[in-house]
Amino acid sequence: MGFTLVAPDQPKEACALLARSAPGEISVLAGGTDVLPDVEAGRVRPSRLLSLRRLPWRTLGWNGGSLTIGSTLPLREIEADPGVRERIPGLAQAVHAVGSLALRHRATLGGNLGRAAPTSDLLPILLTLDAVVNLVGVDASRSVPVDQFVVASRSTTLRPGELIASITIPEARPSQYVWQRVRPSNDISQVGVAAARASRPPYWRIALGGVVPRSIRLEGAERLLPAVRPLVSELEAAAALAARLAPFATDKRASEAYRRQLVGILVRRAVASISPPIVPPVGVA
Amino acid sequence: MGDSELVVNGRATALASVPEDERLLDTLRWRLGLRGTKEGCRSGDCGACVVLVDGRSTLSCLTLTHELPGASVTTIESISEDPVGRVVQDAFVAEGAVQCGYCTPGFVVALTGLLKELPPSAPLPELLDEMQGNLCRCTGYGSIVRAIVRAREATR
Ligand SMILES: Cc1cc2nc3c(=O)[nH]c(=O)nc-3n(C[C@H](O)[C@H](O)[C@H](O)COP(=O)(O)OP(=O)(O)OC[C@H]3O[C@@H](n4cnc5c(N)ncnc54)[C@H](O)[C@@H]3O)c2cc1C
Ligand code: FES
Ligand code: FES
Repeated sequence: MGFTLVAPDQPKEACALLARSAPGEISVLAGGTDVLPDVEAGRVRPSRLLSLRRLPWRTLGWNGGSLTIGSTLPLREIEADPGVRERIPGLAQAVHAVGSLALRHRATLGGNLGRAAPTSDLLPILLTLDAVVNLVGVDASRSVPVDQFVVASRSTTLRPGELIASITIPEARPSQYVWQRVRPSNDISQVGVAAARASRPPYWRIALGGVVPRSIRLEGAERLLPAVRPLVSELEAAAALAARLAPFATDKRASEAYRRQLVGILVRRAVASISPPIVPPVGVA
Repeated sequence: MGDSELVVNGRATALASVPEDERLLDTLRWRLGLRGTKEGCRSGDCGACVVLVDGRSTLSCLTLTHELPGASVTTIESISEDPVGRVVQDAFVAEGAVQCGYCTPGFVVALTGLLKELPPSAPLPELLDEMQGNLCRCTGYGSIVRAIVRAREATR
């Protein structure tokens, strides 16, 4: 393949290295599960890989209801965290959907965001959680909401010399991620649907993967759902709207028509699974 | 043990002699002669190349050797020295969970890592789910599933 490896231990040093390099000359290496196949296939031809392995970003920490995950923490450690499982189940489910166990022992959240694939299993859930991407650069740091971070298929707002340091999820939410694939493991989702229930309006967040050109929230469908447990008719209406409006296309994994069929079912399933219980009226046992 | 080496099956291996763009799979098979680890797809899809890195199942085809300074790598060649690895091997033999055998090292190593990673109380469906990254084109999986069940019973 013909590249050398550089592994700085200071974020600023890593950013400076990136900033100094000509476009295409250097690629960032986190878990390598996207970048090594790209290099092998000749889709990128860097002469150097910038390894993030020595940077202090393999972290996961709670601050009250808010969770910050370091960009280079292996995905497996996110789904294995008891707090994540209990308080943001949709995130644990989405992470679990990625590849296989051996892949998740190395692949990272930063890599998934850096890749910004329209088929990512992680972007939909991050959208429903209003996740914020924390970036470091040579001179300054900034934070970008995930819906602004990914601008198109495989394209982000990362500037030259910038790296993803961490991802913050401001509020733990009841959440669910459901997907459909040909094979359950090591396959790419044809459609992925994430749903979460927020503490303030809009109370429902629904986001999709497997759409073009990038994962999006379905705000129209969200608005059809009430703050309380949706009626079956409301659920059906939101699912039908999702099936009508979602920007699907036909590709080698599935036809557009099949995806439309699927998305309605998945939206119903995801929302129903995290609907609050019906509160019995006063006086009813 | 320093950052300039990697321990493979208990033996220190200097990184200085390994090119920086070499994958662990190639280091193992072609530099160290450990041909038990198999290359099925070289793209992360089949699990034939799974080894343990500090006890965790890892795709050696998608891992650069130089990314693992100071790590301990266990391949199929030394799995029987691990008590759980021994049990897993015995279970594969007892169930005849092998036809051509190409996928077997990956299955044995992955299951050994999994049984050690999950608590003994982990339900069988979880075990089977986590083993889905390993593909077999011969057995039809029946005998492999029986071997997983047997190894799980023997390690509980
Ligand atoms: C067999 C297989 C199955 C897969 N299945 C799935 C799946 O089911 N669902 C899914 O969503 N994905 C899947 N993927 C894709 C991939 O595993 C994920 O996108 C993974 O999260 C990438 O993380 P990584 O650390 O390996 O990224 P890397 O390959 O290391 O990096 C990916 C990209 O992000 C950039 N990058 C990495 N870290 C940073 C950072 N901190 N700051 C800035 N840029 C950065 C890199 O430059 C590179 O362009 C699969 C891949 C394979 C090979
Ligand atoms: S050779 Fe590594 S997963 Fe197939
Ligand atoms: S026994 Fe031949 S691939 Fe599994």
